[in-house]
Amino acid sequence: MKLRVPTGLPAAAIVAVVLALLPFTLSGYHQGLASEVAIYFIAILGLNILTGYTGQISIGHGAFMAIGGYTTVVMSHDHHTNLLLTLPLAFAVAFVCGVLVGIPALRFSGVYLALATFALAVSVPQLTLKFSKFLGGSNGLQASTTVSHTWLYATSWSCAAILFAVAWLLLGGRTGRAFRAVRDSEVAAVSTGISLPIYKVLAFGVSAAFAGVAGSLFVIHTNGFAQPNEFGVILSLQILIGAAVAGLGSLWGVLVGALFVGLLPNLSTSVPVIGSSHGQDVVFGLIVIGVMLLLPNGIAGLLARVARLRART
Amino acid sequence: MGRKGRRILVVLSAATLVAVVSASAAFGAHRADPGITSTSISIGGTFPLTGVASLYKTIPAAEAAYFAYTNDHGGVNGRKINFTILDDAYDPSKTVPLTQQLVEQNHVFAVFGSLGTAPNLAIWSYLNTAKVPQVLIATGDSYWGFSAKKYPWTIGWQPDYPGEGKVYGKYIAANMPNAKIGVLYQNDAYGKNYYAGLRVGLGAKKGNVVSAQSYDVTETSLAQQILALKAAGADTFVVFATPSPTITALVTATKVGWSPTTFINNVSANRLFLLAAAANGANVDGVISTAYTVSSTYAPQANTTGVKLATSIIAQYAPALQSSLAAGDGNIIYGLGAAWTFVQALKNAGKNPTRASLMKALKSLNVTDPFTYPGIKVQTSPTDNFPIEQEILEKWGGGAKGDWTPFGKLYSGVR
Repeated sequence: MKLRVPTGLPAAAIVAVVLALLPFTLSGYHQGLASEVAIYFIAILGLNILTGYTGQISIGHGAFMAIGGYTTVVMSHDHHTNLLLTLPLAFAVAFVCGVLVGIPALRFSGVYLALATFALAVSVPQLTLKFSKFLGGSNGLQASTTVSHTWLYATSWSCAAILFAVAWLLLGGRTGRAFRAVRDSEVAAVSTGISLPIYKVLAFGVSAAFAGVAGSLFVIHTNGFAQPNEFGVILSLQILIGAAVAGLGSLWGVLVGALFVGLLPNLSTSVPVIGSSHGQDVVFGLIVIGVMLLLPNGIAGLLARVARLRART
Repeated sequence: MGRKGRRILVVLSAATLVAVVSASAAFGAHRADPGITSTSISIGGTFPLTGVASLYKTIPAAEAAYFAYTNDHGGVNGRKINFTILDDAYDPSKTVPLTQQLVEQNHVFAVFGSLGTAPNLAIWSYLNTAKVPQVLIATGDSYWGFSAKKYPWTIGWQPDYPGEGKVYGKYIAANMPNAKIGVLYQNDAYGKNYYAGLRVGLGAKKGNVVSAQSYDVTETSLAQQILALKAAGADTFVVFATPSPTITALVTATKVGWSPTTFINNVSANRLFLLAAAANGANVDGVISTAYTVSSTYAPQANTTGVKLATSIIAQYAPALQSSLAAGDGNIIYGLGAAWTFVQALKNAGKNPTRASLMKALKSLNVTDPFTYPGIKVQTSPTDNFPIEQEILEKWGGGAKGDWTPFGKLYSGVR
């Protein structure tokens, strides 16, 4: 019996069952780690919509995470909003911000778009220092409620599942085809009647909305504490690398990307070489180089290649 | 059931089996006592070993050296101290999971010495909810001291920043009553708290502040602010900044030809930083700051217990820090001092310490820490959650190869 990597619905079912059973075996601390993987899962999924499917590069998704995160913390701190309710709110706020960024971004492409989004990643967290009365400044802002590890695990993976379904529906239909057309050839897309501005801005909005939810969960994971240092440039780079490792079109790819980015920094320091902070940076860099050289289409590309090879034999 | 269906069933059954087996295993392993056995006591903290604040990494290294020294001398009531140092790179989003790791995986008895205001704010409610001591943390903000009722498991160590600002204010008001004061402060709670303390200390003389300029953490050049202070006619310059901007401010002031009487905060007054400023062209003679620890380079203190102990402990347990200590890295003495206070409190916590008895001991201290400036007492009480509230002024002399010389009287009640 040849072992085949399941795809499609069976894949989703397996992952869902494993995730449902995991909390019974994991300690609270490990459930926290699993939640972190879910957070990166959502962020990477969002970035894939923008970069992978629509061809617009962004090294600024940490900024959208910050926007979502601060939405949650401010609502909870100032208005004692239920944390669950802040999630759709963060989705909406980040969507609007994504659209606002997407409109001027229409003028850029390639390296220039990367630089513009990079500038976003650097500047948005600094806004909290500017408006420190409202946003807490360098001392950060604390949400009014904190949650248990299991709550966070359940919520973050439920959000991941819901957003995955949303992405699947979006990308499988007309919108997804329009995105891919924009990525592959803007001229051809325009000539078939696809409005570039609408789809590019929509991609930015949706992608930012995903990152916003990830940011909300990220802050909840940090004990409800939001502070600008949490959303440094490194965060944006991590999401981009996770997306590169993931590749396009595969649930397993996004999972592997999220596991890689979420778990590597948390490897216990007792693990030799990889565990030390410098060892981690080296391993991270080596894996990124390896992926770029050997798996330019990420894990998804690898799985597709394996499937093709198998189909031929 | 087709082939596909059978495969799914196999995978599901395997997953369920693994889950059930691990669950039973997980429930079996249950700890009774967090972090303390008859022969050891386990503590841990988060520190910026890498990143923007990595200049502070000598603090945990010195603390580890002190604990190694303590362990070699029988430990505390027969228990050796296991100190876990984790690197959070000054990022609160790392501090939280790392601290959770210390509490939930390493099962530490207490979180000791974690560095940074924002990182400690991030874990403040978590540790207090979990009733885990968050003690002798390396930050001078006054939150910890003033919030003892709401957060009873948290206590700092060093004199707080607003109190330090008050010392400068009191000194200026008493000795330079006609000074025209120009203040440069970091545009966040850190800088603003210092500045507020200065104004309280100045009292009636707070009108002497002719200009107060703020800067953002990200600004690399402070020329605009310093020129503004010079133009306002200030002859006294008070700098409330973190070390790098302080060095920049000193260098810039000299470059624009301004030579006021300068005050800098003690966090930036590490001898190594002033040597760096002087090396970059700053005129550092006459700069005033405060101190609350002994100095490894100030000759009259060379024979104090603290300096001799520091030299021998570092030589034996952290030889890599010897040259820094000899050059005057105050962070090393800081680490030794905090670790000493912890060991003292642990001794006072009884033969079989509990987390509650540790907190009780920390809140009823009345000891002389050999690593603090002679005359300073580490004192706490149920109503006083500030361990060190005394500071002495010091003045720099000797230019690019000089050092600090303490002067004047010990200020008390600094908070």
